[in-house]
Amino acid sequence: MDARTRILNRVRRALEGRPKALLPEHPHSPFPEDPIPLLLARLAENGAEPHLLSPEGAQALLRELAQGLPGVAFGQGVPTPFREGLNPLPPEEAPLGVSWALFAVAETGTLALSSADGRRAQLLPPTHLVLVERERVYPTLLQAFQDLKELPSALGLHSGPSKSADIGQVMVKGVHGPGRLIVAVLT
Amino acid sequence: MRAKAKLYPKEAARLLREKPGVREAVTGATLHFDRNRLKAYAEVPIAEWRERAKAVKDHALSHLDQYLELAEKRLKENGVQVHYAEEPEDAHRLLREIVERRGVKRAVKAKSMLTEELGVNPLLASLGVEVYETDLGEYLIQLLGEPPSHIVGPAIHLSLKEIQTLFHERFGTPLDASPEALAQVARKVLREAFLTAELGISGANFLVAETGTLALMENEGNIRLSTSLPKVHVAFVGIEKLLPRFQDLALFLPLTARAATGQRLSTFVSLIQGPARKGEEGPEEVHVVLVDHGRTALLADPEAWETLRCLRCGACLNACPVYRQTGGHPYGYVYSGPIGAVLDPGLLSLEEAYPLPYASTLCGACLEACPVKIPIPKLLLTWRHRAVAEGLSPAWERAMLAAYRRVMESPALYRLFSKALRGLPLPQDLLPLLRAWTEGRGPLKPSPKPFHQLWREMEEGHGR
Amino acid sequence: MRVALFITCLADQFFAEAGVAAVRLLRALGVEVDFPEGQTCCGQPAFNAGYWEGARPLARRTLEVFREADYVVLPSGSCASMVKNHYPELLPGSQKALDLAERTYELSAFLVGVLGVEKLGEGLKGKRIAYHHGCHALRELGVREEPLLLLKGAGAELVPWEAAEECCGFGGLFSVKLPEVSLAMADRKVATLPQAEVLTSTDAGCLLHLAGRLSKKGVGLKVAPLATLLWEAYAG
Repeated sequence: MDARTRILNRVRRALEGRPKALLPEHPHSPFPEDPIPLLLARLAENGAEPHLLSPEGAQALLRELAQGLPGVAFGQGVPTPFREGLNPLPPEEAPLGVSWALFAVAETGTLALSSADGRRAQLLPPTHLVLVERERVYPTLLQAFQDLKELPSALGLHSGPSKSADIGQVMVKGVHGPGRLIVAVLT
Repeated sequence: MRAKAKLYPKEAARLLREKPGVREAVTGATLHFDRNRLKAYAEVPIAEWRERAKAVKDHALSHLDQYLELAEKRLKENGVQVHYAEEPEDAHRLLREIVERRGVKRAVKAKSMLTEELGVNPLLASLGVEVYETDLGEYLIQLLGEPPSHIVGPAIHLSLKEIQTLFHERFGTPLDASPEALAQVARKVLREAFLTAELGISGANFLVAETGTLALMENEGNIRLSTSLPKVHVAFVGIEKLLPRFQDLALFLPLTARAATGQRLSTFVSLIQGPARKGEEGPEEVHVVLVDHGRTALLADPEAWETLRCLRCGACLNACPVYRQTGGHPYGYVYSGPIGAVLDPGLLSLEEAYPLPYASTLCGACLEACPVKIPIPKLLLTWRHRAVAEGLSPAWERAMLAAYRRVMESPALYRLFSKALRGLPLPQDLLPLLRAWTEGRGPLKPSPKPFHQLWREMEEGHGR
Repeated sequence: MRVALFITCLADQFFAEAGVAAVRLLRALGVEVDFPEGQTCCGQPAFNAGYWEGARPLARRTLEVFREADYVVLPSGSCASMVKNHYPELLPGSQKALDLAERTYELSAFLVGVLGVEKLGEGLKGKRIAYHHGCHALRELGVREEPLLLLKGAGAELVPWEAAEECCGFGGLFSVKLPEVSLAMADRKVATLPQAEVLTSTDAGCLLHLAGRLSKKGVGLKVAPLATLLWEAYAG
């Protein structure tokens, strides 16, 4: 008999005669009709730098951020207009990463990033700019998850800059992941 | 990990005597965590959240065989290699195979209490693999050669000064380097490790049966890096970590974050389906090891099975005034604080963990903090009852309780005892038990007359 | 209304005046008070230490001793919780245990909840009081506001205390099984204690432990059981 069989047998024996507990439904919590202001507020509370911009405005923001930098690492899904005039660099070397989010969640101030967009650009550069379309903003995590039809090999939920208080309880940013998270919600 | 739980009373006393700084650091950190938790709980209908979370977990545990099979099926469909481990040796065998086959020289590890249980680090070291703990707190204690002292904040017992000294000796940083500067030094060392490691090792907060999704929570980004950069990712998952549905994460991720650190959601959550798909960055191989290591025995326990609901959020540690005095080290096993006191006797044996259920005043703060309502005080009492029934308690205690019972069963004897308490000089410094009391609190001084005597006098005065 | 006073062993031996105060106060409020003389200890020390076989006979005899009372009132949150919450667990299926649990109250909860008293008098006018929430009164019985209401109602000033709801480290046998940890916990209470004239609580165990630690540390703060202060509130 292998470990799998032995473990499953023990589980079954343990549960013999044990009452079966019911699985509750998750109720939807009340949420604002327009989730954008909440998303922006929560992101700011989480230590991110949120902006509500037109695509042109976001392109200008990106160019401003990239000014003086040797180049930028792009996620796969970032549309061409955002790349124009910028030098693409591998994420290991880039001081700025730009990602295209799958969706955002207002109640937690969260951006969802797919592995299909490329993981390194989301994690290695010290500054991370995330672009998300206004229509892709959900009020709650539950709504976002229920709407998710297909799961990528890894879905990263980013809700702020990388941080740690492990050194003497002092909050430090940018420990491993990006220490700066800039978000542009595209109108 | 070898358990030294038996030494708890001695180790706790020694730590308080020899390292008073630990008490200060742990008290400060846990009070901070606990206040944040209270604020975060107050923001949501927490009673309903906790009740629902408990119900989901109870459902998953009472159908665990079905969910294990479903999870396994989905994981395999997602291209994940699934393994079962009953004992640490099973995990070791798998790791040995991977290390040899993939020529692993370096491994990066995301904080995982289960890998502490399984002794993953010593095993990898014995295979010549360089292991880097990548959670900053975990990295600090790895440098010091210490075990974690808290489920969420493994290094909360260290003061800034101690860390400055450690980095000064290791990396030559100035003795007054700022936390930012120290973190940057660690980032540099560990970034190199992330980029060169062949193996990434993690635990998991949850495993969703419906989709075969691993969910991992963190604030630094080291888990995302450990599970994204190396070509092989191995996740060790306790079999109690199963959730039925993907949408359950919409409750459990924020609930765990609120309980653990008072956040609405941890800064990073990794929801992992499997290896990188064609043309993608990410690991070529993903392994999930479903670990028993005492969990099926706990599941079979008619009372203690409820501890399997535990989310490892550390909220009970932060709320516990006993834990706050010493941190986790004196408990002598992976899990410390209130949850350790009820989990360790089940995972080890009661004999091995004997003192731990007594490491509590039954104040009940843990129960109020627990996001899944594990009845910790009740379970502490259950383990104590079992310890007495198994004859594990010390002889002096049995003798004392027997004498106490004899006296209290008889009002006549009780009155005699009451007289003796006043009539005889109390041998305050002779009886070890009395000395344990008086050393820190001065002599016991009974009221001049006990109330039952005052009552008679009152009644006589009352003219009855 | 007839109330049986369950003094509880620690108060009987170490805070006898609290019993006198409780009797006077209840009588002054028009309650007929009895003191069944067969009472000893509720059994909590044995129960909490895991000696349930030792605790059971004590629970059973307590059920007998208080069989006839309309209400059983204790100047102790911990012992009240033993009777209310743990007797039914210790004696599963015992109707008598459930019945006694129904009728049992910690003193301040009885005054506010059953008698409907909120103001006892003016006797504590201007008195600065530090109130320690005994854990079992607070978390097992849910008695949080009642003592505060009665003290404030009598003019007392309750000093804010960061650690008021934290355990003092007594814990019965805990205090001698793990004395160093127990004392460290008391020290946290003492270190955060604000300027006050008197320290009070529902529980004799906590007070004995805290008073001992205060005197050992040379802090000259008066310690008095809640019952004593409530009588003072009434009688001035």
